[in-house]
Amino acid sequence: MSIPAKAFQRWLQSIAPDASTADVCRVSGIKRTTLAQQLVRGKVAVNTVVSISRAYHANPVASLAGFDDYSVLAGPPHPPTKCELVSQISTADLLRALLVRSAMDPVQGASAPVLGPAPHATSVKNWVDAIDDGEVRQRVSASTGVAPQNYSAQLTANRLSPELAMATAVAAGVGPVGGLVATGLVTEEEAGWPAGARQAALDSLSDGELTVLAGDRLQALGKVLRRHEQDQAQTEKIWENLG
Amino acid sequence: MIETLQWTTLAICGLVAAARIPSALRGENRSLFGIFALMTLAILLSIQGPYVVIDQAMGGINLANLLLRFVVFGAIFFLGIRVSRGFGADGAYRLITGRSGLLVLLTISAVMVALFLLMDTSGSSAGLVAISAKDGRNFALVEYYGAAGRAYPAFVALALVPPMVRAVQERLPLLVRIAAGLLALGGAAVALTLLFPLIPPALSAVEFIINYSAVLCYVVGLALIWTARVVNRQARSRKTSTET
Repeated sequence: MSIPAKAFQRWLQSIAPDASTADVCRVSGIKRTTLAQQLVRGKVAVNTVVSISRAYHANPVASLAGFDDYSVLAGPPHPPTKCELVSQISTADLLRALLVRSAMDPVQGASAPVLGPAPHATSVKNWVDAIDDGEVRQRVSASTGVAPQNYSAQLTANRLSPELAMATAVAAGVGPVGGLVATGLVTEEEAGWPAGARQAALDSLSDGELTVLAGDRLQALGKVLRRHEQDQAQTEKIWENLG
Repeated sequence: MIETLQWTTLAICGLVAAARIPSALRGENRSLFGIFALMTLAILLSIQGPYVVIDQAMGGINLANLLLRFVVFGAIFFLGIRVSRGFGADGAYRLITGRSGLLVLLTISAVMVALFLLMDTSGSSAGLVAISAKDGRNFALVEYYGAAGRAYPAFVALALVPPMVRAVQERLPLLVRIAAGLLALGGAAVALTLLFPLIPPALSAVEFIINYSAVLCYVVGLALIWTARVVNRQARSRKTSTET
């Protein structure tokens, strides 16, 4: 969901009053032609606002909250749920954590390595699954008018537009910024997630919970890989016979 | 306009067949080269000028027309085998190569040869137009002969249409899906040739257009699959070269 150029200009005035467009581009690393094009079209990309905010040491979430379409981001901070935190741990990190649990390996001693930063390869899908009570997708579809199959397609591709990410969070009753972390638009820190929160959430999982969760992740990964392999095999067969 | 369409189709077929020569020499999918070569020959035999030259060399009794029919049968048979195997269409493959498929091929061939022998076939004429005009009996024989000649390609083409339509919707490389769409379109066009007796003589140009667009769809479709493979191979080698 892009931001109207007028509102963007007003915001830019407030955050960098004396900077020229060229300065802003240089500091934030945005190509001048890109920004010029967005301004001419009257639609500024969300990423542009995030990059400029970072360049001028402003919180991107707070910046976005100032725009009409993103007003849901304003308001009191809403701490992430445990499920959300765990969903932002990559499958590889989960498995590594599981391997050093006593249930898996009675010989203690090794410690799990430090978690990689969010987002990860399936973070969007895992995030939605984590907060889904079974009907969240229908509610999002109803409130935004986006067809369920288009929504699913975005999840499969590990993408979600900021608009849908916020609508999903609202529909699930969790903090509005979680989806923006899962899609990688903002970092955990920028979203106000406490440092080490994901590690703490992971540590609070029992051996059983962690094992089941890792199993679910592996099963989902296996499905994706199998489908990919089948597609590949089919294509190879076509080329073998007709290439 | 029909002449342009004929010669263009011939040129495209000939070019694709020639382009397959190097890989055929390397031993890759020789039958694919065979399909293209047969198609090129079929088109050559369906154009008046080359037809008369070839038929005169064969005795001037329109044996070239019978040859054309069998060239088309051969091309569509091998095409059916390759395409159904490639796209994993086991049902179509069994239908074409199974006992019933071969029985259809044999019956139609026998009927076609019998009808040919019953005709007064002297005097080279592409599409047997002059033979048909001789008298009522020959007119009827040419009609039945033509119908038999269209029946087998339509049989194979119809068997291939459903799997091609499915392939368009599958998760395959885009070029392959476009190719499957073209093959489905070609198959539908071949099936349409069954309805030729219903087309009034004034619209005979429609028959030419359907015939040649069917050939073009098949040739371009097969060439696209080949292109997709080449593109993929290049993309892959570029990837590995940047990785190392």
